[in-house]
Amino acid sequence: MPKAVKLALLLAPAFGLVVVMMSLVIWRAVAQSFGLYNFNGEDLLSLRHWAEMFATRRYWNALEWSAYVATTSALITLAIAYPLALWLRKPFAGSYLLSALLKAPYFVPGLVAVFLLLNVIAFHGIVNQALMWLGLTDRPIRLQNDRNGYGLIALQVWKQLPLAFLLLQGAVQAIPDPVLNAARDLGAGPVARFRKVVLPLTARAMQAASILIFINVAGDFTFQATVGPTRENSLATLMVQYQGTNYGDWNAAAVVGVTLMGLSLVGAVVFTALVQGLTRAMERA
Amino acid sequence: MPGIDIEGVAMRFGQVDALKDVSLRVPEGAFVTLLGPSGCGKTTLLNIIAGFLAPTRGRVLFDGQDVTGLRPEARDTAMCFQSYALFPHLSVQENIAFGPRQKRLERAETARRVTGLMEQLGLAPHAAKLPNALSGGQQQRVALARALAVAPGVVLFDEPLSNLDAKLRDQVRTEIRDLQRRVGFTAVYVTHDQAEALAMSDTVFLLNGGVIEQSGGPRDIYFRPRTRFAADFIGAANLHDGPISGGAMDTPFGPVPVDAPDAAHRTLCWRPEVVRLTEAGALSGKVAHVAFQGGWLDLFVTAGGQTLRLQVSGTHDIPEGATIRFDIPREAVVVLKDGANA
Repeated sequence: MPKAVKLALLLAPAFGLVVVMMSLVIWRAVAQSFGLYNFNGEDLLSLRHWAEMFATRRYWNALEWSAYVATTSALITLAIAYPLALWLRKPFAGSYLLSALLKAPYFVPGLVAVFLLLNVIAFHGIVNQALMWLGLTDRPIRLQNDRNGYGLIALQVWKQLPLAFLLLQGAVQAIPDPVLNAARDLGAGPVARFRKVVLPLTARAMQAASILIFINVAGDFTFQATVGPTRENSLATLMVQYQGTNYGDWNAAAVVGVTLMGLSLVGAVVFTALVQGLTRAMERA
Repeated sequence: MPGIDIEGVAMRFGQVDALKDVSLRVPEGAFVTLLGPSGCGKTTLLNIIAGFLAPTRGRVLFDGQDVTGLRPEARDTAMCFQSYALFPHLSVQENIAFGPRQKRLERAETARRVTGLMEQLGLAPHAAKLPNALSGGQQQRVALARALAVAPGVVLFDEPLSNLDAKLRDQVRTEIRDLQRRVGFTAVYVTHDQAEALAMSDTVFLLNGGVIEQSGGPRDIYFRPRTRFAADFIGAANLHDGPISGGAMDTPFGPVPVDAPDAAHRTLCWRPEVVRLTEAGALSGKVAHVAFQGGWLDLFVTAGGQTLRLQVSGTHDIPEGATIRFDIPREAVVVLKDGANA
């Protein structure tokens, strides 16, 4: 048996399953967005569902909102995780405890995290009670479901931080000490060492972290539905609304679903370009 | 090209003293080696000279100027690391140009140095390659070129040949020494390989347990070891313990001549290759084992339950079990200072 065929057969059970399942799901969503697999009527290949969706303000708002929350969350998470990973590169007293604490949110399920946050920021939550007890306000202020989505972004950052930290910490710790010492020895100060050695050697981890966070947050339903602004929809919440809660319109939901996949793809491309551009610019500077 | 003075340097890691009050002088343009076993403090001392470590006590001076508190990037040094420590994301050319760019040299000067060093070290055909596409020897040459590109006054070598095979090690060893003479820099070389130290150095500092056990020229440190550790660590040595009387020490092999006054107890040392095989020799023993080494024979000779190692020309044909007679030149026998009653 040729080696290539043997390899393909060996990989088939695992790799094949993933490819088949993914292809089926993607094909089904795309086909449904163009009128096929219609649960409410006749199957008819058409651009109607896309045209109707493009004419809907809610769709564009949801796309914009999802892109905004995902981009902001990814950037803020990286901005926090990178310095922490650098700081904790070398062990010191208490560094293991700090690392463990930073990873803790990863083990808290999303809904439990929401419940915990609500205890803190709800009308009757700890923050409002403290503000009132201190006399800073005479009635509770709106922290939950705030207009700008600050609570939502804060929760996303808290939840995504361990992922970014794990990826960046691994990359930062993989840089051998002699490589940094060599740069130092050749005249590179702390800033030059970061720009010319640390950043290029951790760019892939940063790229992976930013893309994964963007995709995770862009597809979020739970946090948006519970602590997000009530007047905004994410693509995920909009999709669920179309699919079940309000309309039972599977084709419209499929359009939103395909849009979400497209947004994830665009996010991946943009963050890849952004990280590579930043790395090149820093190396040249 | 500065000379280096180490004055009373000590280094403590937690409860461990890595260096204890070490003082030494490296003359301008000299090639000195810090030699010793693992954990003797040689790399710690090199890192202190480079500025990567701040000593617990003592001073480091370059040309009389105290540089103890100076950051590594501000010192006139460049280091060749044991692991090469090349920048994995930069090509050979970019690795070599890293230092000159950091020192803000003009582009033309940077290019001139990079091109010159690549040609000098045979790296020109590999200019665009990344380090992981090079062999160990080539990577070592890139590390050397990168260090020399900043035209440092002092080059520090941290066991740079330990990852190379024996033949390549000999070749790169000669290249480093030639380059040091041609380019002109003060070199501090760390190794645990005594052959490397003897072949390359103007001066060898032998370290043991954080102190300098002995220092001197390669010949001096090899033929005139002062301590049992120095005798044993550098090459093979034959040792005898006992009293000296009438210019000799009585041993099971016969009287070993020594140029020393009578004493109740001393330790004598001589190298295996100083032996002369002669029918009229004053010493004798039975050949227990013969090891042919090509250019020479290692003879393990026994008498009275003791064993000596002799080295003679490889052209000799001496069977195991034979009894041989030999002489040891008086001037080749030294009295060790840390002998039993010293």
